[in-house]
Amino acid sequence: MNAVTHRSGLAASILLALSIQVAQAAQAGDMAVPATDLGSLSLEDLGKVVVSSVAKKPEALSEAPAAVYVISHDDVMRSGARNLPDILRLAPNLEIFQTSPSGYTITARGFSGNNFAQNFPNKLLVLIDGRSVYSPIFSGMYWDDQFVLPQNIERVEVISGPGGALWGANAVNGVINIITRASADTQGGLLSLSAGNLESSAAVQYGGTLGPHAHYRVYASEIRRRAFDDSAGQDAHDGWRKPQAGFRLDWDAGDGDALMLQGDLHDGRQDQPAGPEARSSEGDLLARWQHALSETSSLQLQTYYDHVYRRNQGDGSGFKLDTWDIEAQHNLALGERNQLVWGVGDRIYRYDIKPRIGVDSSLLWDPTRNTQNLANAFVQDQIALDARTQLTLGLKAEDDPYSGVSLMPNARLSWQPTRNVLLWAAASRAVRTPTPFDEDVIEKQGAVTFLAGNPDFRREKLTAYETGWRAQVATRATVSVSVYYNVYDDLRTVEFAPVTVLPLTWGNNMQGHTLGLEAWGSYAVSERWQLGAGFTTRRQHLRFKPDGSGLLGLAQAGDDPDRQGFVRSTVNLSDRWTLYTELRGVGPLPDPKVPGYVELDARLGWLVNDKLELSLSGFNLLRSWHQEYVFPGSDRIGRSVSLDARVNF
Amino acid sequence: MPKPSRRATFRSASLRTRAVAPRACLLALLLACATGQARARAGQADVSLEYAVKATYLYKLAPFVNWPPTTFTAANEPFHICVAGDDPFGRYLEKAVAGRSLGTHPFEVRRMDSLTPDAACQIVFISHLPSQSVRQALDAVSGRPVLTVLDSTTDNPGGIVQFVIERGRVRFVIDTAQAARNHISISSKLLNLALTVRQPT
Repeated sequence: MNAVTHRSGLAASILLALSIQVAQAAQAGDMAVPATDLGSLSLEDLGKVVVSSVAKKPEALSEAPAAVYVISHDDVMRSGARNLPDILRLAPNLEIFQTSPSGYTITARGFSGNNFAQNFPNKLLVLIDGRSVYSPIFSGMYWDDQFVLPQNIERVEVISGPGGALWGANAVNGVINIITRASADTQGGLLSLSAGNLESSAAVQYGGTLGPHAHYRVYASEIRRRAFDDSAGQDAHDGWRKPQAGFRLDWDAGDGDALMLQGDLHDGRQDQPAGPEARSSEGDLLARWQHALSETSSLQLQTYYDHVYRRNQGDGSGFKLDTWDIEAQHNLALGERNQLVWGVGDRIYRYDIKPRIGVDSSLLWDPTRNTQNLANAFVQDQIALDARTQLTLGLKAEDDPYSGVSLMPNARLSWQPTRNVLLWAAASRAVRTPTPFDEDVIEKQGAVTFLAGNPDFRREKLTAYETGWRAQVATRATVSVSVYYNVYDDLRTVEFAPVTVLPLTWGNNMQGHTLGLEAWGSYAVSERWQLGAGFTTRRQHLRFKPDGSGLLGLAQAGDDPDRQGFVRSTVNLSDRWTLYTELRGVGPLPDPKVPGYVELDARLGWLVNDKLELSLSGFNLLRSWHQEYVFPGSDRIGRSVSLDARVNF
Repeated sequence: MPKPSRRATFRSASLRTRAVAPRACLLALLLACATGQARARAGQADVSLEYAVKATYLYKLAPFVNWPPTTFTAANEPFHICVAGDDPFGRYLEKAVAGRSLGTHPFEVRRMDSLTPDAACQIVFISHLPSQSVRQALDAVSGRPVLTVLDSTTDNPGGIVQFVIERGRVRFVIDTAQAARNHISISSKLLNLALTVRQPT
């Protein structure tokens, strides 16, 4: 038996690739026929196909009692999208607003924030291969810092709703979990070139082996976007370019030991309307060790270091942020009924902020330098009540530097009345913990301190009640519907100083609830033609507490459409030609008002031969431009067309 | 700050939708081109990878089992793979065995709600039955030359082959005592691949 498990080499790597391809189809609830016929495998090889992974239970996604949408590798490649936020548009349960060539506002279930209130979308947890990439300084995202070569994306799991118990703090409204392919699946050379009216990119990658059990890949890429027009139609002078390079190494050490090492480095530049360009660079290094303790128990250790440097070279403002993170996770079966996952983690982050000091207004911090520690421990038990019913109980405790220990419990129940139907319900609690931006910020207007952070700022809290239904209807259609009722408390507001009125400070005086529905499905019209559709809608009822000032109104929570949706179609016109089209619509934004829009994306792909693929992609084809968001610096988003070539060597 | 009226937003939005309707036809046109190309074919692999692998195992196990000579009466008689009770395979199993045979016996898939002693099955897959317990189903074919295969979600000691999910892979356990009771023997190659072999005591 050991000989079977450890016999590796070429067959194993092919198998791994195979299992991943098919797993995607299965996890996405796709109708796709497995690319490779399992029938060609020997019995030994069948036993090596990974049908599920024991780590943090991603295998259970199709059965996960949560609103999970999986963007598969094939989805990414078919869409022609190259930048991560554009790839995330494939998920129906995310709201994506592009504001500039490199700028995006992304959220789930509302709360996109409001620039006038200095409120940014800050309730998402974003992970790239287990590395948390939201900024601990304000718990929001710098999307221009995150780039993954599309061809290296294995899948993106988008979980709308709280994931606090398993994933941790800031997983309030959702989790975006980006998983890249193992090096064994990206072997050989790849050259990818793209030229278009707004965007051009180039990437070269090589994947090879270091002995029979170790695979690696190295890549270098650059993406460039031309400046957009601002909302008035003038050149916004915000062109963007970002060279990036990185590697990944996977070593199957045998005896259930596997090691993964990866790192990336990038140095982005964004033009500014006046003055020199702004820089944003980042470097990261991650190591993960997985060890099988027994047939039913495994251990995972992971550590990473991440360095972010952002600087506006005009006024010298910016920051440096170093993050060290280590975490351990243990999966084990307890008897026949209990599947237990528990773990501990610690993150140290050190920042050094160069404040923005201007004649009119300044953004200062006190302290400007700090080192903080974020520790967590979690446990989750998946209990099989009977063959069809599972109860999942989870608890995460997180100790943050400002508010101490937060407890994030969750309970999920799932029931499979038949094999093709899953009903689930969940109740969970999640928090957004205070950040330096909540506690330490000082905003000055001239010499007057206009706004000061609040050392007594409390966590923003969410209690979420969700229920969902997932089914395979007939043999060709999948449907997922989920409904949520989210109760928020202690949301951030702007308050007056008791006697002096100024400085304003942050308070926790907003509360309320949102009620929403998320639905998506797929339908295989035939073997060559697949349809997909997604739709979300939401009602929001927020109010100020009696003590609240009500300053800036309820709109400061976010400017979100109450509905959005898409219909998409993938047609394999022949073995070599593929046509992908997506029509998406986003409802109007209420305050500030932005009209809703409907846009069309399309890609025609031509597999010239085994080595070369050409494609013509178009985004936002219906009109010359539309606006996705409004605030100073929010651009017109124009029609984009590009010609791409991919060469395997 | 006045609250935006949801109703008003809705109305203006539906006007918008109408305004863009002619553009939506563009997509309809694109889809229409596709319809011409699309050929309706049944038998999609609408099954999880786990069950695709299990389905593949089902017919790949056949060559490693020795059935008694009385199993088939004619050379072209089909080799029956039965799915008793819940069917997790959808159309995948049919697709997988299409055109395949064991010697001169083409594989054929049969489905049944429950197992009876006269069920014409060489291999029977059991996960959950609506009207029988797994024990009853196994008892029904006990002593008959049938290879019983139990799903990993079914934990019952009475099957000959029991699927097990081990470290994310589909493996199996073999009970040779049960096989002997059903008058079939299992090749050593298959026994070598089993995670565990339960021997007659």
